[in-house]
Amino acid sequence: MNKTLTAEAMMEQIPDGASITIGGSSLSRKPMALVRALARSGRKDLTLIVNVGGPEVDLLLGLGVVSKVIYAFVGFEVMGLAPHFRRARQNSNVTFEEWTEYTVMAGLDAAIKRVPFLPTRAGLGTDVLTVNPSFRTITDPFGGETLVAVPAIHPDFALIHVNYADERGNGVILGDGHIDVLCAKAAKTTFMSCERILHGDELQRFGRDVQIMRIHTQGVAELPWGAHPTGCAPEYRADLRHMEEYMEATGDLEQWHAYQDRMVWVDHEQYLDRLGGREGLVSRLHV
Amino acid sequence: MMDYTLDELMIATMAHQFSGEVMVSSVTAFGALAALVAKKTHAPELAVLATPESGMEVTPLPTLTLGQFLTDVQRGIPLTMEEIFDAIFCDLFRIWINPAQIDQFGNVNISAIGPWHKPKVALVGSRGIPEDTSHLSQIFYYVLHHNPRSVVSRVDFRSGAGNGPERDQLLGRSGAPSLLVTDLGVFTFSGPGGSMAISSLHPGVTAEMVQERTAFPVSGLTDSVAVTPEPTAEELEIIRTADPLEVRKLELLSGDKAAEKFVAIYERERQALHVAWPARSRI
Repeated sequence: MNKTLTAEAMMEQIPDGASITIGGSSLSRKPMALVRALARSGRKDLTLIVNVGGPEVDLLLGLGVVSKVIYAFVGFEVMGLAPHFRRARQNSNVTFEEWTEYTVMAGLDAAIKRVPFLPTRAGLGTDVLTVNPSFRTITDPFGGETLVAVPAIHPDFALIHVNYADERGNGVILGDGHIDVLCAKAAKTTFMSCERILHGDELQRFGRDVQIMRIHTQGVAELPWGAHPTGCAPEYRADLRHMEEYMEATGDLEQWHAYQDRMVWVDHEQYLDRLGGREGLVSRLHV
Repeated sequence: MMDYTLDELMIATMAHQFSGEVMVSSVTAFGALAALVAKKTHAPELAVLATPESGMEVTPLPTLTLGQFLTDVQRGIPLTMEEIFDAIFCDLFRIWINPAQIDQFGNVNISAIGPWHKPKVALVGSRGIPEDTSHLSQIFYYVLHHNPRSVVSRVDFRSGAGNGPERDQLLGRSGAPSLLVTDLGVFTFSGPGGSMAISSLHPGVTAEMVQERTAFPVSGLTDSVAVTPEPTAEELEIIRTADPLEVRKLELLSGDKAAEKFVAIYERERQALHVAWPARSRI
């Protein structure tokens, strides 16, 4: 079955109030082209689920379309704090639930395994358990030890970006896998963008690098540079210069609106043109 | 006497703690250089990650462009987060964590300054520190600016579990704080009730200076505290060769100075590495 869709057609399937888990990790392989399409779709009251969040969470918070964030981390790694996240955490009506990296994974895994929770020691002795109402402690029925019960997380949608995919929805990840496989399996509907669609049996020569199986995928879109401004190993690095520009633009409302007009309210080709086109990107960021 | 700087002393001290065949995460420039020094001297079996989520078996180098870049040029072994957390749960993982606050009992905070629900400054979130502080047999922390705002009586939020009755009851020694290296000295958590105690003072640092810049009484601050060993010529050579652009200094700077250095390093790194590592063929 050919599952190719435009990013816009994917977003039409996402209703207001949807819960969406997003793959990648901070400045690495975030599905940013899909996230920008989501931003343009006008969907609102979204719940975002990430373990290591970055520009995708910050952008959607900055557009005011998020009502809840489940996260272990949101930031720009070497570039520092994420400005809209920081502002929203300090002063907004958005609900924030601080989890931890493994507990987000365990929550998704519990959903995949169709169990209500998975146990872990992660979180014991920390204040994550005091501020996050989702967790409970339980007693090990065998040995009597106290453990954290991590509830299943059931995302409506997953958005991920991979190196290569086929039209049927198999996906190749060549760099670090992050939690993308968990996202794809746990969500009811998974939309995947890729640097390039491969045809016939080209994909099968990648062996275990075919990490995303088509039985979990409902839509695939070819969006070269679709992770920009985050990186997509081994093709291109994170665009730290653009991240600086983004962070500057979040400083005041006028600049933020100008940034949106320039980089969000445009289609993917226009977006790439604003960055100097594909050739410009290759010379700056290609490895 | 060797000519060295504070960052080099701290990095060499951090390097000495690594041993064995374990996965090492080199999140920061200090962490990367410490892993490199250890790997090239006493701990050749370390399996080093370029960043918390980047490929394994790379030569750890401090870089602005993230481990992703190193993975690309050095062909590291890509990992998933499941593999990294399994290493943590099996106690086959080591990391130097740089918290915003650390307290008397080794609790650490990277989540929020002020109350979590209404923070004065929202930081990044606990990330994987709760996993580390519930499973690893060695937990290392470093703080670059030892002062009463970073080394506090009690952290505003416990992202990582220190010592105390709650730990004793729930976790035992798994994930307990082992060591803290700051710009003033090296500390353990072997004081009364698992509180912070001096292990060594850096050359030129006095017990009074430590007490002045710490928000609570530090155990063991007598006249006869050991002095932190200076980095060897070999260690300095490794650090300086690996980090000619001095990415490590960025962590010590702030404001405009940091921004200027950042841009300069980014540009030089990009150009230098583009020349050194020409694009390879792809599909």
